[in-house]
Amino acid sequence: MSPEGTDFLYPFIEADEHDVGALLSDLAASATGKAAESARLRDLTLEALRTDLDEAGRALADRFVAGARLYTFGNGGSSTDAASMAALFGQAPSGVALPARSLVADQAVLTAIGNDVGYELTFSRQLIAFANAPDIAMGYSTSGNSENVIRAFEEAKRRDLLTVGFAGYEGGQMAACDALDHCFIVRSHSVHRIQETQAALSYRLWETVQDCLAPGGERPEPHGLRLEPEEAR
Amino acid sequence: MDHTSSGPAVNPGPDAADLAAASLAMARRFAAGATLWCASPAWPSHAQHVAVEFVHPVIVGKRALPAVTVGGDHPLESLRQLARSGDVLLLVSRSDEPAAAALPQRARAWGLLTIWIGAGPRPEPGAADYVLWVDEDETISSYGGRFVLLYHLLWELTHVCFEHPGLLKPELAECTEEVCITCSDEGRLGEIVAVRADGQAQVRTPAGLEAVDTTLIDDARPGDLVLIHAGAAVTIVEGSA
Repeated sequence: MSPEGTDFLYPFIEADEHDVGALLSDLAASATGKAAESARLRDLTLEALRTDLDEAGRALADRFVAGARLYTFGNGGSSTDAASMAALFGQAPSGVALPARSLVADQAVLTAIGNDVGYELTFSRQLIAFANAPDIAMGYSTSGNSENVIRAFEEAKRRDLLTVGFAGYEGGQMAACDALDHCFIVRSHSVHRIQETQAALSYRLWETVQDCLAPGGERPEPHGLRLEPEEAR
Repeated sequence: MDHTSSGPAVNPGPDAADLAAASLAMARRFAAGATLWCASPAWPSHAQHVAVEFVHPVIVGKRALPAVTVGGDHPLESLRQLARSGDVLLLVSRSDEPAAAALPQRARAWGLLTIWIGAGPRPEPGAADYVLWVDEDETISSYGGRFVLLYHLLWELTHVCFEHPGLLKPELAECTEEVCITCSDEGRLGEIVAVRADGQAQVRTPAGLEAVDTTLIDDARPGDLVLIHAGAAVTIVEGSA
């Protein structure tokens, strides 16, 4: 058989492939397509969930007025998105800074609970220690099935917290979780696209809370530190 | 060759051509054994998100790649100790964040490929090898989601590149210096590690530790970023950091 063999049938697994230009234009087209898909999913989901987001935003604002702290949690990339939301609420770029904390911030607590009682209790155990009504629990799971997130919602509900969940796919267990007051499902099967839209939903939720708490809003003058405009970034 | 672009972002996504080029450059570095260092001084959760994407891919079967968050109060010092020539720095930061600009500048002197995802005013041309930017008209927090999109795409495209092993050989001429090293020896960046009384210094460059004469510049100190020409430091680009 000639050295070329059947390689011509499989141009992309060839070790001596050399057309960088073709690869780069494929990559750019792929990026553009995925970015468009991300934006489409975000806009569709924001529109479909607008009423629910408004309602949840008002409920959060009520809780903050009553003195609530917000606790956020998730695993992996979702843990970082949860931490971003705690930072957004806590270090508000504009409006009112509100008490918020991520439950993945402390390695000592996470590893102690994971090691001593089990990973599925990493967040619920912290809520037992920290949280009571009128606090708020906000959890992220792209599958909707993360056991430690579900267990945290159940514990939060027992303690009369307001519970907010962000899921993907068809919502998994979170879609049927009685402990959730508000469940936002991003209907996609791509973890990345789900997380991108969850970030947009979370941001919209924060905006709604800020609108409610603003002077002239529905629930002005909360227990928060109002930032001067020049401090806002 | 200047990899950065000041062109408009591809609507609704990032500048797709820059993203493609950055992904291929990163895949080549990974193929040669690089570690990806992720830094985000103001938003550590973004650096952590990038690292976990690469270390523990969401798509089963994709290879785990070495990616590490450099955080803490002194990310530059951590990076100086941990990074090796050939590694990659991915920075997620506004350009006007005080802790930001020094990171890619130093990292390039140490031989790292530098990718800067950010927002706000665009950094100076050449501030990093690849600049992936979110438009200033986005409000600060709505662009958080855009950052997530950008690094997700970077991960996705990097893994596409792994399906093309023939294209992952090291770039022939990778021009990341002020003046291209393959074109002339007019200005390579280096960081002074130690200076002897006679003005001879050990300087860290992408090639490793080099002996460089510093008698042409006044008061050379460890940590100074210098421009090297023909074995001598000719200018201090930035004082010790």
